[in-house]
Parts: sequence; structure tokens; C-alpha cells
Amino acid sequence: MKISMHLAAFAVTAVSAAALLAGQGRAEEVVADPSAKVEYSGTVSVLTKFGLQQLSPYFVGVAAEYEKLHPGVKVELIQESDDSVKGKTKTLVASNSLPDVYFTWTGSWGANFVRGHRAADLSKVIGPDTEWGKTLVPAAVQAFQYNGKYYGIPLYLDVKFMGYNKAIFAKSGVAAPKSFEELLTACDTLRKGGVTPISLGNKEAWPAVHFAGQLLAYNVPRATLEADFEPKTAKYDDPGYVASLQQFKALIDRCTDGAAVNGTSYSSAFQQFSNAQSAMYYQEIIEFDQAATADSALKREDFGFFVLPVPEGAKGDPKAIEGAPEGYMISAASKNMPLAIDFMKFVTSKENGQVLSSPPYGQPSATVGGSSKEKMSPQVVEGLAALESASYLMPWLDTANSARVASAWLASLQALAGGTMTPEQVMDTVKEASAADAK
Amino acid sequence: MRAGGTSEFRLRDLLSFRWAAIAVILVAWFVYYPIVDNFIVSTTDEDIFTGEVTQVGLANYQRLLDDPVVWVALWNNFVYAAISIVFQVFGAFLLAAMIEGLDSERLRRFWRAVYFIPSAISITITGLLFYFIYQPAIGLLDGVLKASGLETLMRPWLGDEGTAIYAIIAMSQWQGFGYSTLLFAVAIQKIPRELYDAAIIDGAGPLRRLWNVTFPLTREMTGLMTIITVTGAFQVFNEVMVMTAGGPNNSSQVLGTWLYQQGFTENNFGYGAAIAAVIFAVTMLTGTAQLIYTRRRRVQL
Repeated sequence: MKISMHLAAFAVTAVSAAALLAGQGRAEEVVADPSAKVEYSGTVSVLTKFGLQQLSPYFVGVAAEYEKLHPGVKVELIQESDDSVKGKTKTLVASNSLPDVYFTWTGSWGANFVRGHRAADLSKVIGPDTEWGKTLVPAAVQAFQYNGKYYGIPLYLDVKFMGYNKAIFAKSGVAAPKSFEELLTACDTLRKGGVTPISLGNKEAWPAVHFAGQLLAYNVPRATLEADFEPKTAKYDDPGYVASLQQFKALIDRCTDGAAVNGTSYSSAFQQFSNAQSAMYYQEIIEFDQAATADSALKREDFGFFVLPVPEGAKGDPKAIEGAPEGYMISAASKNMPLAIDFMKFVTSKENGQVLSSPPYGQPSATVGGSSKEKMSPQVVEGLAALESASYLMPWLDTANSARVASAWLASLQALAGGTMTPEQVMDTVKEASAADAK
Repeated sequence: MRAGGTSEFRLRDLLSFRWAAIAVILVAWFVYYPIVDNFIVSTTDEDIFTGEVTQVGLANYQRLLDDPVVWVALWNNFVYAAISIVFQVFGAFLLAAMIEGLDSERLRRFWRAVYFIPSAISITITGLLFYFIYQPAIGLLDGVLKASGLETLMRPWLGDEGTAIYAIIAMSQWQGFGYSTLLFAVAIQKIPRELYDAAIIDGAGPLRRLWNVTFPLTREMTGLMTIITVTGAFQVFNEVMVMTAGGPNNSSQVLGTWLYQQGFTENNFGYGAAIAAVIFAVTMLTGTAQLIYTRRRRVQL
């Protein structure tokens, strides 16, 4: 018995030692070398956020083409959805098995990989003055800048608009609103006509956070917002916060199904808009081509959009738009970094960018010239133009803030929508979470 | 016995443990090591991105006490357990007794299958199904309420902080009920018929037979089902994750989902481990208590 116990003890020690070693991050940062020779052999593993049925063919197609060009290479795709990619990524991080290339948001999400030295420093490869960097939209490259270095490969630009059904608007005699107050009045008129003005599904909690984010950008000055994103400098004492939340609550009450939104999934709400059962749906530009398709009840020519209108007397930036580029990082632990980089150069080529920008994908490419206006839906082209005139890209609240503060926003905005919290109580919750994080 | 006898015997004895060693190591490695490790992790603060581990002592346990969501989650788990015992232990026992009391074997088989089918459906599909049932205004449940003139009861079942957890529990009963019924049916089948015959001769009616014969003789199964139901209720995760992910406003969080949220969403693995320790303690306690209780009340034939 003793021997086996010793053996068992030894095994346990060995495992815990291995587990400890596995838990270590990298002490030093890995810098990608632009002159490294690309070996066209082996595999490149890629974690994407294109797991949705409509989007997944994009990477499958690009990978097949790349493999055809370089027969020695095998591209391994792990495709996840918007929701599942978060858990998947963290599991991969915790087990030290991040693929060579992985999806990331900007803001605090991407900062985690940089902090843990898990993302390769791509400054010499994708920095603004490099050959590759010059082929990409500068603001998109900038969005992945941390501590003065560049870590991300932007793939597409994302921005939030209010999509609306022109036919329903015309029938109810409503025009696209010019101010937030007009939007609320339009909602009243639409509701009298028996239509759900805005379909909102907030079971997942982030859809409401997107409304709040845009309103915050309108009501709170940018510098204050950015200071508050950082728990150490956060104060959350600007009166614009409570004002934004009051506007948010008015919008929930007058434009949506009210407290019921928390029981509806965002995909059901999206479907409702696509089925022409609601007049508006607050959506990302990358969803435009999925809202109005060839077979949807909402006709492509009836699909219009506007930026969520600015409330009167708002003290923030009226030309701010909520959105951010989304992109990919290269794992610092990648055994075949030059190949991984080469694959991403291929993915962000002008030709592949044009495919990505056009239906059925409709993801506006971050590559300069990666969008051909002839092939793209006119609404996506217009949306991109609106994006260019924006003075500030307000990041998503749930990726700009630390995870704990983000969770506080998510939960308490559900409560505000459901009528169990007041705007002041929401701000107290957020403040509390931020203070706890600053410790 | 010669002098070398004992040492020879010992050696042989020790060598024979080789065969057990593999099992011991595997069990220690995969079952007991993670349990111990969980307690170690719960005294640290770990950043999975940098791999930095800070010793924080019992700070995570202090945080448990101050975290209002933990209390909400504990209460939800408790309600889950209580309702599950009513339906999946006592309800299932009554149903099984009724089914086994039927005369025709074909009918008995039919009803066992009818109640078992929901258990064979994947939780993801059940979750989706019930999402549609509970959908506000257009869902089946609200539809029925409206049709029967009970509009005042209509509500967003999963979106209302007051009803979300109960809506999930209801789904879970629907799904788990048939499985426990089947187990009780097996236990009832094992009761010798003579006991019933004797009871009938003594003039016992069906209710008396149920209470004085069937119930005591299935007590072991009742005990087992209670343990399984209670521990299951404290480990519940999928049902909540699929239906509400703990929302709205954390009102339907259970310990399992709060653990997941802390670890995987908020990057607090140490705190998550402390929540796991609570789950461990609760399930361990209920398991032990129940075992002691059933051992004492076991009926010997």
C-alpha cells in the first residue's frame, strides 16, 4: 500500500507541478519579425467569430484558396459565434492552447492578451508605416494599439445604426427622426398604428448596453468617459450618466415591449424586424445584409437606417458613433508565426476584403479598397460614409470596461429595462463595481 | 514460522498492490486531486492571461459573504431542490405506484415510456422549446392565458425577475420527472407480491397498501432519489445557462452559473473556486445526512 501511496503522491505532485507550469504566462513579449522567411508547410489554426451559418463559409472559402496556393499548408478553423467565442477563448487561454490566430475585440478584451504577453507585437509588420499597415484603414489599425505598439489585424469595421422599415414608416406617416425626442414621438405614432416600434430582445443583456453606450457618448464628454473606463481614475459623477439612463428608460417604455424585452432573445427581435413585424431594430452594420435579404419580408429597398438621434441639450459629442473594428491577434506561442501572419495578409487582401464586404456577408472590410461599391449593398456603403464623418468611435461598453464593471452594466440595465432599478441605482451599482476593481 | 516469513509475506503483499495502484492513481489524479486543488485555488487570485497567482488567504470567502448574488443563488438552489423533491421524489413515487398498479403490462409500458420521453431530449432543445413556450405575448403559455381570459397573469416569464427561476424549475421538473418515475417503477417491481396479498387479506385498501407496503419497501430508492435530486439541484447549470444565463439582473443565478460567470466572464478564478467550495460543502452535507438517515430507517426483509 505504501508504494502505491507514494506513487500516487508522486503522480499528484507531478500533475500539480505541470499545472503550475502550465499556468505561467510569458515573461517576455514576443515581437514578430517582418523579415522572417515564410515556410509554407504545417498547419495554421484560426479561432474565428464567424460561427454563424451565414458567415462561416467566408473563412472556409479563404482557407481553401490559401491551401490551394500553398499545398503544404493546412488551415484549421475553429469557428465560434458572438456569444460562444468569449468562453472558448478563455478556456484556450487557461489551458495555454490559443491557436496561432485568434479573434479579438478592441478595448479591455484585447488588452488582456497584451498584458499576459499572449499576443505577438506586430508593430514592425502591421504598424502604420509598414507595407501591410498601409493597405489597411488607419483608424482600424490604431484601435488595436496598446502602450504605443500594434497588436491586432483589423478585419472589418463595425458600427451601430437604427435600421428601419421604410414601408412601415410611410404607412404610419412617420419620417426618419432628426432628434431623440422625435424618435420617441414617432414610436407613439407607430404604436397607435398597431406596430411594435422597436423590436428589442434583451435576454442576452448586451443589446440594451448598446443603446446605453450610444446615449452615453452623446451625454457625457469623451474625456470623462475615457477616464471612467479605467477603474483607477473612474468617478462616474457626470450628470450625463443619469440623463442618458433616463432617456434609455423613456425609449424602453415608449418604443419597445417594455419589461418584456428581457424575456426575448436578440435573435427573435432581429427576426421580428426581418419579418416586417416591427418598424425598427437597433443593429450593427455587419447585420444589414442579414436583416433584409432576397427572401425576407423586409425588402432590400425598404431597408433604411439612421444614427440613433441626439437628445436635445446633450453635453457630450453629438457626432460620436458607437462602434469598433474587430480583428485578430497572432498568438505569441505560435510555432509558425511567419506563416500565420502570411495567412492573415491573404485574408486581408483587397480581393478577399471585397468578398467580405459584399452580400451575403456584408462585413465592411478594414482593407483600403476592400469594398467595391458595385458589389456591396447600398445601405452598407452609406453606413460606411456615415462612419467616416464620425468624430469619435465610442467603444462597446461591455468591451471598453473591465469585466466586472461590464457585468454591472449588463445586469443593472436589464433591471432598469424591467423596472426594478432607477437610473440612480444603476449608476450606484456601476460605481461600486468600478471601486471594487480599482483595489 | 521461519524468520524470513513475515518479510516475504510483506513483499508479496506489497507487490500485489501494483494491481490496485493504477486505479488508486487514476482516482486520486482525476477525482481527489482536483477537489483538493479547488480549495488551493480558492485562496488565490489568479489572472489567467498573465498566469500571475497571488495568495489572498480567505479573502475570497469573505467576498462570498458580502456578495448579494451569492445569497440569491443559494436561495435559488434551495428552491430548486425543494420543488424538485416534491415532484421528482414524491410525485414520481406516486406516479410510479399508479403505473405499476395498472393491470395490463402493455399499458404499464406505454405510460412509463410516455413519462420518460422528455428525459431523452437534450437540454439545449428543451431550453429552446420552453423559450418559445415562455415567450412574452406570443408564447404558448401567454397564449393559453389570454385565450382563457387570464390576461392579468400574462408576463414575460423568463424576463421577469420574480418568475425567471420558477420558469426554469418548471421546465426541469417536466424533464426530470419521467426519469425518477422509471427508477421508482423498478423499485416497486422488486417488492414481493405476497406482501400485497397478505395486506389485502388483512383488509388493507389501496392507500393503506401504498403507505404501509410500497412506501417503506422503496425507502432506499426514496433516499437515493432525494440525494440525487438535492445534489443535482445544487449542481444545476445547463438549464439556467440555456434559458437565462442567470438574468435578468442576476435574479436566476444559481451557484453553478455564478461560478461560471466569475471564472470565465469576469476572470476571477479564485473567487469562482470559492463558490465551488460552497457547492461542494452543501452537496457533501446533504449526501452524508441523507445516507445516515436512510441507513437508520432501512427495512430488512
